[in-house]
This record gives sequence, C-alpha cells and structure tokens, in this order.
Amino acid sequence: MPTVSRRLLNSLKGEGADFFVTVPCKLSADLVYLITQDKEIIHVAPTREEEGVGICAGAYLSGKMPVMVIQNSGIGNSVNALAALTRLYRLPLLLLCTHRGSPGEAIGAQVPMGMAVKGVLDAVDIPHFSFNHPSAVGEVGRLVAYTKVAQRPVAALLGFDFWRKGDQA
Amino acid sequence: MTMTRRFELLKKLVPLLQDELVISNIGFPSQELYRLGDRKEYFYMLGSMGMASSIGLGVSLGTHRRVLVIDGDGSVLMNLGTLATIANFGPENYTLLIVDNGAYGSTGDQPTHTSGKTDLAAMARGAGVSSVMEVGVADMADALARARQNPGPHIIVIRVAPGSPSLKPIPLSPVHIRDRFMGELKGDRERTICA
Repeated sequence: MPTVSRRLLNSLKGEGADFFVTVPCKLSADLVYLITQDKEIIHVAPTREEEGVGICAGAYLSGKMPVMVIQNSGIGNSVNALAALTRLYRLPLLLLCTHRGSPGEAIGAQVPMGMAVKGVLDAVDIPHFSFNHPSAVGEVGRLVAYTKVAQRPVAALLGFDFWRKGDQA
Repeated sequence: MTMTRRFELLKKLVPLLQDELVISNIGFPSQELYRLGDRKEYFYMLGSMGMASSIGLGVSLGTHRRVLVIDGDGSVLMNLGTLATIANFGPENYTLLIVDNGAYGSTGDQPTHTSGKTDLAAMARGAGVSSVMEVGVADMADALARARQNPGPHIIVIRVAPGSPSLKPIPLSPVHIRDRFMGELKGDRERTICA
C-alpha cells in the first residue's frame, strides 16, 4: 500500500491541483519530498508563508490550481495576505496545514499557535476542516473542488495521527 | 535639477509596454498607472502590501508571457525573502522593476531604509539574482529591452524622488480586476491552442 503522502498527493493531483508551494514540517517531509520530485506539477519553496500566499494568488490568476503545504504556524505568518489578497479577490487556495501543537505534539512551544489557529482562520472567514486519520486522503483531496466553488481559501488541519498511522496503513 | 518622481517615470514607462502582463503595487503606484490609461493586462493590487513581487512570480510560472511587476522599495523591504525566492525559482519571463523613491509614499513619504544605508540592488545580487540592473530613468528603456532579449529573472532598480500627485482610489472591484486579468490570460491560452 502506498504511503499516506503518496496517496494524498495522488488525490490532490486527481482533483486538479497542479501548483504546490511548500514550507517544511517534520510531519509533511515525505509529502514535500514527493512534490519536489514530481515533474507533472510546479513547485516553489518560498522563504515565508505570506510570500507563498502571494505566489499562489498569481498562480491561480494564471490558470493554475494552487495548494500550500505548511505548518499551521504559517497561517499566523500570512493573515494579512489571506484577508487582503486571497479573500478580497475571491481566489481559491487550499491551505494544507500540519497541525502542530495539537495532541501528539512533543514540543511545548508549538502549543500556543496550535490552539490559536482555528480562531485565526475563523477571524478571517476561512473555512477549516480537521483530519486525524490517513483514510481521509480522499476527503482532503476533494477540498480542491470546494475551494474552487467557494472562491475563497480553505484550510485542512492534518493532525499527528493523520501522518503517523499513514505509514503503517 | 529636480529628480523625476514615480508618476513621471510611469508616464515614460507606459509607452514602452508591449504585451507584458503587469502587476502593479498597492496604493499610489496603482492609482497613477490607472490614471495613465487602464489596460486589461494590468492587475492592480488593492491590499496586502509586499505581495506584488510574489503575485507576479506566481503568474510568471503559469504562463509563457512576459510578466512585469512594478514594485516599490517599502514593499520589497516588507517581503525581502522574495529576492531569494526569485533568484531560485524565478522563470525567464519575470521582471521586477523596483521604483525606489526612498519613502513610504502612500502613507505620507516617511523615509524607508533605502534613503538610509540599504541598497536593494546589492541585496538582490546577494540573494542570487544574476541579472540586476541599476539604472537611471533615462536608461529605463534600454534596461527593459535587455530584459526582453535575455532570459530572466531580471530585477531593475531605478531611484526616483519621493512625492505623488493627489489621485482618487481605483473605481474597480477586486473581482472585476481578477476576472479581466484571468480573461486576458485565458484568451492567450486559447490562441496558443489554436495556433
């Protein structure tokens, strides 16, 4: 059985995602590696998530379907661009966030933003959905269609068990 | 001799434009460009200061058409990582024009660090951008021609004086700006498929 990262990437591509912006996380390391090796998609690694939001906005304007693979902390780094660019111009963008600071976290410093991220997304009217089991890869992929029909950014928060069990599933 | 301001630079720039897609920075730069003649190839940035260079990078990766970003020193300073990303991921069709007036023009001409010790052209080179052109207004046409003739990414830095005319906000909705710009690119793709 392919890993959760392989199945997730296949699911996203199957739904039309063809432009990936990544900022690393230990949890998504395998997914990010697969993205960098995939010749069918465009990949950009920005220095900071806010920059990635700008790049994804441009990619959508050019006809691409963008996905950002980031840590949830990156939502905090991107709030103004998400509100005053992606939301303002009604641009689709799937924010695929590893949910650091959620149960399973080993680093205490991750917890404050892990707890805050849903409130931050609510504050700028970005719908968010939490997934904590690798069997959800199809549902996560279908958020690509949802962000397009909603014409606004949509966030998936992928908890520790989404990734951990995936390697055994 | 009084130095040229951004508005006078844009007056000289508009007749030099060919089929470039143009991403225009938030605030007065977009208002000035709109005043000089609205075009469907223009994407006016209304919010998210600092993002113009990044939006242009995203557009340029998704199209073969040339993309010109008209940015400012304050905005580039707010998103400095963009220089490193442009160096490492910027495609051949990408040009970033930094109109450096040493001031946050839209908020009352407060000085930026480029009116102090900071040199954006040197920072762009340090970030790894191999084609950095630091020119005066008189050589802008030459710099743009070189950017067209040679593979990018290119960064052009032109120093101007601060100061802006008093203009009204752009009377276009964000969704209208989006749809018009995407329509221009979509037409471009269809023409390519037909050719």
